[in-house]
Amino acid sequence: MNVRVLVKYWRTILIVAEMNIRQQMTDGFILFTVLFQPIIIALLGLWMLKDKGVDAAMFVVVGSGLTGLWSSLLFISGGSINAERWSGTLESLVAVPTPFEVIVFGKNLANVIQSLVSMVLGYFIAVWVFGYSLTIQQPLLFFHSVILSVIAFISFGLIIAPVFVMNPGVRAWQNAMEFPVYVLCGFLFPVALLPGWTTPVSYLLPPYWAAVALHGTSTGGATVNETLFAWGMMALFSLIDLLIASRLFKIMLYKARADATLGME
Amino acid sequence: MKTFTNNLRLFWQGALLSYVALFHWMRPIQYAASKILMPLAQMFFFVYLGTYATSADNRSFYIVGNALQIAAVSGIYGMTMSIGGDRDNGTLGYIFGTPANRLVVFMGRAFMNIMDGALGVVIAFFWGVVLMGLDLSNTNIGALALIILITTISTCGLGLLMGCLALITVNVMFVNNFVYFMLLIFSGANIPLADLPAWIRAISYALPLTRGITAARSLVGGASLAEIAPLLWGELGVGLAYFVLGYFLFTVFEVVAKRRGTLEVF
Repeated sequence: MNVRVLVKYWRTILIVAEMNIRQQMTDGFILFTVLFQPIIIALLGLWMLKDKGVDAAMFVVVGSGLTGLWSSLLFISGGSINAERWSGTLESLVAVPTPFEVIVFGKNLANVIQSLVSMVLGYFIAVWVFGYSLTIQQPLLFFHSVILSVIAFISFGLIIAPVFVMNPGVRAWQNAMEFPVYVLCGFLFPVALLPGWTTPVSYLLPPYWAAVALHGTSTGGATVNETLFAWGMMALFSLIDLLIASRLFKIMLYKARADATLGME
Repeated sequence: MKTFTNNLRLFWQGALLSYVALFHWMRPIQYAASKILMPLAQMFFFVYLGTYATSADNRSFYIVGNALQIAAVSGIYGMTMSIGGDRDNGTLGYIFGTPANRLVVFMGRAFMNIMDGALGVVIAFFWGVVLMGLDLSNTNIGALALIILITTISTCGLGLLMGCLALITVNVMFVNNFVYFMLLIFSGANIPLADLPAWIRAISYALPLTRGITAARSLVGGASLAEIAPLLWGELGVGLAYFVLGYFLFTVFEVVAKRRGTLEVF
């Protein structure tokens, strides 16, 4: 999938995202993953870091939102194709003229947007419950960081979904993949605390660069150059992810058609 | 005697089969990942967060708390899915249709999850010692094993209650996840109980894990079994209370579901 396809089908993406949000509002598991879990982590983090001041509070608000983004990507976006399979709608979606990856892109967009709500709720918890006066230090840079993070997360999700479909064994590792990314990407504490050998692994994860940009711009702890570098890395990873996803979707759909296993687990 | 033998067989078969069924979708390597990698990652996350929040000197506080918290993985998720899974898989009607002793069926569901949960905590402590530098040189290991067992039993008691709720709600995973994550706050695994407001502390002491974690921390700090015995009795009492409540609800739901014809209605 290339950027041209996304531009061409932007209305489809938005409609898929809207439908997905409406549908997911009644699913307890999804609501917990995108809203309640990040809020509980925010409460926990704010309580644990209450002696560290305002910057730490902002770090927790943004970091807990990022945990929601990653968990929704892992559990919901990762299962977005299988969810259609279970509903019996996968064949219809594959058969329509709109490229299938565009539809999954829209579904991922919905998940990511929903998760961002948890960041806003975390902010209000920090302000109302803990009495912090939180201000985003670089609002314009933060806004752009959010946009790029959304794209980076969605693109990463486009790889996860077909991988999980083609390798059911990998999907069973989902539970074990949640917290390592929280740790390696420095969502709630700096990765500098981790052993040095883990740092290159962090650099390879798009959520890490999202965390760098969002934490840096919200607390004012990053220079403009550092933020621009993080943006560049997110853009680079997004492009690479989209290219890989495009190939994976082709392989997945060809295999499913050739083996006649589209609707089967 | 024959009844006893039958019940024993029912207990063991029920324990074994429900446990096999619970993990039928996993391969051994994936099961190992869920027992080894997941607890390790969760512990790392909270231990790093805790030491970042306070200081590295408090490492053992977070390691012990989060190692015991792993009991809730089997205690809450495992137990709920063992019981609620019967409804999802359409086998609940058969269970209610048999003359089998309900208490034995109920306890059979819990047994393997208790063993599995205790194993998970032992693995977590192993990681704590090997990778995070937890010092158990002053610890009575036998007493620690007792704490692990009792805490796992009490957590499974809460899990049984949750499992009963799974019989009447479709949002089982929401309830499970909510309880599991709230335990991270309320059990004192990550926040000292003294720092919590009184009303939260009151809830904490009505939940499993709280006393077990406090006892384990005291034991690792050099306390004797006699000193922590009251906490262990309290932990056991809380767990048994949840078991009794869970069993009571199980029997009530059975009667109500049969009367209303809603046994497998979602």
